Amino acid sequence: IRKKHPKPSQVDSGQKLGSENLIDETSDIEDLLKEEEDYKEENNYSPETLGALKWKEDLSRKAAEAFLRQQQAIPNLRKLIYGMVTEDNEEEGDTQEELGGLFRVSQPEGECKHKADSLDCSRFLVEAPHDWDAEEVINSIKDCFVTGKWEDDK
Amino acid sequence: MATQAHCLSYVGCNFLRQRLVLSTLSGRPVKIRKIRARDDNPGLRDFEASFIRLLDKITNGSRIEINQTGTTLYYQPGLLYGGFVEHDCSVLRSIGYYLESLLCLAPFMKHPLKIVLRGVTNDQVDPSVDVLKATALPLLKQFGIDGEAFELKIVRRGMPPGGGGEVVFSCPVRKVLKPIQLTDPGKIKRIRGMAYSVRVSPQMANRIVDSARSILNKFIPDVYIYTDHMKGVNSGKSPGFGLSLVAETTNGTFLSAELASNPQGQGTAVLPEDLGRNCAKLLLEEIYRGGCVDSTNQSLALLLMTLGQQDVSKVLLGPLSPYTIEFLRHLKSFFQIMFKIETKPCGEELKGGDKVLMTCVGIGFSNLSKTLK
Repeated sequence: IRKKHPKPSQVDSGQKLGSENLIDETSDIEDLLKEEEDYKEENNYSPETLGALKWKEDLSRKAAEAFLRQQQAIPNLRKLIYGMVTEDNEEEGDTQEELGGLFRVSQPEGECKHKADSLDCSRFLVEAPHDWDAEEVINSIKDCFVTGKWEDDK
Repeated sequence: MATQAHCLSYVGCNFLRQRLVLSTLSGRPVKIRKIRARDDNPGLRDFEASFIRLLDKITNGSRIEINQTGTTLYYQPGLLYGGFVEHDCSVLRSIGYYLESLLCLAPFMKHPLKIVLRGVTNDQVDPSVDVLKATALPLLKQFGIDGEAFELKIVRRGMPPGGGGEVVFSCPVRKVLKPIQLTDPGKIKRIRGMAYSVRVSPQMANRIVDSARSILNKFIPDVYIYTDHMKGVNSGKSPGFGLSLVAETTNGTFLSAELASNPQGQGTAVLPEDLGRNCAKLLLEEIYRGGCVDSTNQSLALLLMTLGQQDVSKVLLGPLSPYTIEFLRHLKSFFQIMFKIETKPCGEELKGGDKVLMTCVGIGFSNLSKTLK
C-alpha cells in the first residue's frame, strides 16, 4: 500500500517548481502512474462505483499527463545517465537465444555496439552551430561578459 | 578468486582511458573484451598500446594481459609510483590524449611525477597541450594541487603526421583534495589566445590573429592573442598552424576552444583567416554552453570531486558531453558514487544555454604513500 497520495494541488505546485528536485519528481511520477493503474483495476472489480470515481480518475490522469509533458520538456538527466547501465555482464553471453541447441541468434545490437568501438575522445563537438552573425544569437551570451549587465548584488 | 569477483568487465575500445584510469585509482581490475572484434584490423591500436605502456611506467606492479589478437585486455592495477619518466607517445594521437589521463593520476603518485612526453602537441582530435595548460592546470589548482613544481612546459611543438614535439609535465602530490564549490562562473573579463605556426611562414599566425580578433572584439575589448613561431629543432617534423583561445572569467573559470590546420597531405589547405574566424565562433559556442568548467575538463572536475574529502562539492557545468556521461556511469561502477544532477534552465538571462548543477560527497580518497614517507 502506498503512503503517498499526490493531490492535484501538490501536483500543480510541483510543476511550478520545475526541476527543483529530480528524485522527488521521479518518485512522484511513478506514484501517479501507479495510481492510474490502480484505478483501472478498481474499476474492473466494482463496475457500480465507476461513476463515483470517474472525476478522480480524470484528475489523476490529467496530472500524470501534465507531468509527462514536463518531463519531456526538461530531460531527466539522472535517469538518462544512471538509468541504463552499459556495464557488460558475463552471463549475458550464456543467456543468448539458441535455435535447436546449435545456432545462436546473432542480434544486431545497434547503437550500443556501434558506440563501443568508436573514437575515445573527450572533446565535445558542436553539432548544430549557431549563426554568430545574427543579432539575437550575439545577444544570447551578452551578459556572460563584463561588458554586459551585472546583477544588482555585485 | 577474490580478485576475479570484483573485476569489472566491458566491451569495446571506446572509453579505454577512463576505464583504465578509474581502475588504477580504485584498485579494481578491469577486463575489456571484443576490442574492435568486427574490424578488418582487430585489436588494440598503436596509440592504445602506447597508453598502456605509459600506465605501466608510472605504476609499480601492474599486471597487463593482452590476448594474441589484441581484442581482449586484462588490467590489474599496481600502485601509482611516479618519479621521473620519459615516454614516446604514438603520433596517431596527440600528447593531449595521454596527458588527460596523467592529469587524473598525477596528484595521487607516491613520488611527484615529472614526465617528458614526445609526440604530437597539437592535432584536430584531442585537446592540445596549450589548451590543457590553460584550462586543466587552473582547475587542479582549485582542488589544492599547487606549487612551484606544478608545471606544463612546451619545449618543442610537433604537428601530425610527423610529430616531433616535446612537453614536460610535473605535478606535486597531495594527501587529500579540497572540496570545491564552483556555482558561479562570473563574467568573462578577458580572452587570451595562442596562434602558433611551425615550418610555415610566421605571417600565418598574424593572419589568424587578425581574423579571430575581428569577431571577438564585438563582445569584449580585452582580447590578446600571442603568436608563437618555433624554429629549427623546436618546430617538429611537419608543417602546420593553429589557434587556441581561452576566455577567463572574474571567478577564475577558463573556457577554451581550438582549431588546427589539416595535417600535411590530408584534406585541402585551410586558410588562416577561416581558421581564425571558425575558432572564434567555437569559443562563442563554448561560452554559450558555459558553466564553471569547460566541456573538455568536465570529467576531470567530476573525478576530483569524487576523490575529495568527505564533504559536499558542487560544480555548475554546461551541457554534459557524451564522454562525461559515460564517465559518470563509470564513476558509479568503480566508486559507487552517484551525483545529484539538477538542471538549471537559462530563463530570461542572456547567459547562453541551460546549465547543470552537479553535487556529490567525496569518498575521502587519501594518498596513503604520502603519510608513510
